Amino acid sequence: MGKQLFRYSEDNKAKFLESDNITFNDGSVVTPEEIWDYLTVEGPVKYPGTYEINLSQGNRDSRDETLPTSLKTHYLSLTFSARMEKAKKNGKTIAFIQGGQAVDPYTAADTIALRPFLVGQWYHGREHGNDIYKSVLRRKQSKETAFHDMSFEACQTGGYEHVQVGDLPIDVVAPYTVLRCSDVSYGVEAHRHGPNKDVKLINVDFPMRHQADKPWAIEYFARNLKKLVKTLDEARGKKTTEDDLWRAIRLHNEGRRLGTELADLWWSTDIPPTNSDDRNSLVALANLDMHGDVQASLSVLKEAKKIIAERVKNGVKGHAVTDNPKRLFILGSCVGINESRSEDAGAIVVGKDDQWSHCTSLVEEEGDPYYNLAKATLEYPYEQSIEKRAQWTIEQIRKSRADGVIFIHNWGCNTQAAVSRPIVDFIKRETGIPTYIHERDLHGLRDEQEQNRVNAFIEML
Amino acid sequence: MSIQTLEIIRKRLEERPEELRQARKNGHKVVGWTGYNVPEEIVHALGFIPVRIALGGDDRLVEVGARYASSKTCVFIREIVGAFSENKDPYIQQTDILAFDATCLQNYRAAEVIEYFFKKDVVVLAVPRNFAEDDAKTYFVHEANEFTRLLEERAGRLLDNATLGESVALYNDIRKTLKSIYTFQAARDNVISWEEVYDLIQAGDLLDKKEYLSLLQQTLAELTELQHNPVIEADCDSRIFISGSLIPRGDRKLISIINLAGGRIVGDDLWSGILPHLDLDIKEISPAGVALGYLNRTPHAALPYLDLESDRRLKKLHELLSQSRAHGVIYHTLRYCDPFTFKAKETKNVLAKSGIPLLEIHTEYAGSDYEAMKTRVEAFIEMIRIKSELVEEEAA
Repeated sequence: MGKQLFRYSEDNKAKFLESDNITFNDGSVVTPEEIWDYLTVEGPVKYPGTYEINLSQGNRDSRDETLPTSLKTHYLSLTFSARMEKAKKNGKTIAFIQGGQAVDPYTAADTIALRPFLVGQWYHGREHGNDIYKSVLRRKQSKETAFHDMSFEACQTGGYEHVQVGDLPIDVVAPYTVLRCSDVSYGVEAHRHGPNKDVKLINVDFPMRHQADKPWAIEYFARNLKKLVKTLDEARGKKTTEDDLWRAIRLHNEGRRLGTELADLWWSTDIPPTNSDDRNSLVALANLDMHGDVQASLSVLKEAKKIIAERVKNGVKGHAVTDNPKRLFILGSCVGINESRSEDAGAIVVGKDDQWSHCTSLVEEEGDPYYNLAKATLEYPYEQSIEKRAQWTIEQIRKSRADGVIFIHNWGCNTQAAVSRPIVDFIKRETGIPTYIHERDLHGLRDEQEQNRVNAFIEML
Repeated sequence: MSIQTLEIIRKRLEERPEELRQARKNGHKVVGWTGYNVPEEIVHALGFIPVRIALGGDDRLVEVGARYASSKTCVFIREIVGAFSENKDPYIQQTDILAFDATCLQNYRAAEVIEYFFKKDVVVLAVPRNFAEDDAKTYFVHEANEFTRLLEERAGRLLDNATLGESVALYNDIRKTLKSIYTFQAARDNVISWEEVYDLIQAGDLLDKKEYLSLLQQTLAELTELQHNPVIEADCDSRIFISGSLIPRGDRKLISIINLAGGRIVGDDLWSGILPHLDLDIKEISPAGVALGYLNRTPHAALPYLDLESDRRLKKLHELLSQSRAHGVIYHTLRYCDPFTFKAKETKNVLAKSGIPLLEIHTEYAGSDYEAMKTRVEAFIEMIRIKSELVEEEAA
């Protein structure tokens, strides 16, 4: 049986061409016409896998063809690898970071900050013509090499497989460490024995335990941020000023505000204005790091907010969303459930704590920028004590009117797995909402078993 | 050969839980601590009875702990959580307050989980990842002061420097005596085994500190009488050094396998062994001074260090290997113990440059892998024996 392939319908082209341009960091602009051409001509040749209709992979990108920003996030994903190559050629500094952290200091230092997923996207996007099967196999092979050099129990390998084993020209491995994931700090350390001696390493030390209440902890983290900026400056050969940092903070605050407003709009109506995938891909823009270009993310986010407001006003229901879906809130590691298959089972994902918690922490725009940034970072709700984190999550659950909660963690993600039980216990006790803990296999070898459990939970709801 | 004081220590350990129960009846408070950088002297100087929470080897408790802290947490932490759940361990039963540190993030998570589910009063000492940097030390000093303040609140009194000085002196004497005793276990005449010294070190986690020092001094006197001048040399061809994840009381699986396979253990750098007692230099009698003394020791593997060449943990490993005249390293990693599993291959490669073979044994507390471990350990010991013989032949 041949593969089912997806193509954008010409019926939606005219409407799409009326939508906004995307503006990039370097001031360049891409028009809707150019995007359409890419998505219908170049994209299917380079990345046929992303045009396969394969629900097991959760590949549902851009099925809502009437949502222009959905096509645009697809475009940004497909062009990601080529854009990174171009940026590197133009002398841009590129840093490996952690998921779930803001990137204001990296933006200030004119550095592209890539979380683990994006580093992988860059690497794997270099090879063209792969179907889903080949793409997955390639990802597994490179990950396996990192496991061999570190630990087969690692969930997160700190980009080792691409920076050391591969040849990705990352300049600095510089994540906030201990934030949410201990594997990342071990991953950073592992680079010290890799063959790539050129990559700079720095742990931006995010301390644990009630740190937001301690002035000395905020000062310590602020000093770490200064060291980070100094390291990035060394890598790019230019000095970052406080004004640069203020500009970056204001820019990212704008992204965080827009993302919050977008999420509030989405939650304000009983009729979900998008499906789960689209919601997720739009809210994820709020950190502005998602596509390796803060301005591009911001321009799509601005447009998305307008469109969602319009949809909410007109009572438009998102593509392929069932009537009265069961609303799921997802907690835990940097992964999620298969959203499209869960929708087919009668649910919709209305929120996640990961990639959201840090977007809700605005940075004060007066005073010492490093101190303010450090304070906002140490206040991330996701990083607080069990009770505090659970209490914040309950607020999100109530705002999003979720019917059920799934705490999902990757195999090997002991930092999140360890607190999964108490957090869902607290939420269940306080809200009475059903919860369950879901362990996800990073390598997709248990898709069916995992979906069975999710579907059973949805059925129970 | 039998060291009489060791018998006394075993007996005193049997009596210790009841002693703690009586002490608590009389108004004393017991602080159960776990971690690598908990400055025990501060706990002691505030009049608490410090007891180290370190137990292992019980896969049933590991399963119980997994219900609260997930099956993806390291087996040691799961067993601790399981033990708090059941509350049958005689030492855990006697704890009034817990003092955990965040050197290992899983240890920190255990503190959170125990606090949440079992309503224990937990004081946590945060530990910086960038431990070697001045900024991190400044931060840690604040944390140590905060840790002290939280304990003072619970003690109902302030810490005074004179008492702290007495505690530091007592602990320094303990460390010094342990170090002297440790030399004997690796010596040619083998008047005391590594296993006996290891048990002796762990007895100090539980016994009254003054009494413990006195027992150590008696042990040292006995040893000195038996062997005036211990000489460490490669007397047999299977001298094994143990490194990696901790081996707490209750867990002797790997140790017994090495013994059965004919290996002689002559040294370790385990968190549960001699390592925490080495190189602890307290320069100032204050909470900050004590805490910095701890932080400046050989670092724990949970704290990342980004330059391989100047890594003090690896330097210390080399130093101890050289002192003990070990032929090979058995590197013990517990399931999901990230600090050590992440470094296994790197450590193997580093030691290979010095011609020292390393065998990683990755295990948990279940008995199901016993035979597989035994086969691997036997093969490793056979391999280093053959290697030693070849070296001897070549020398001849």
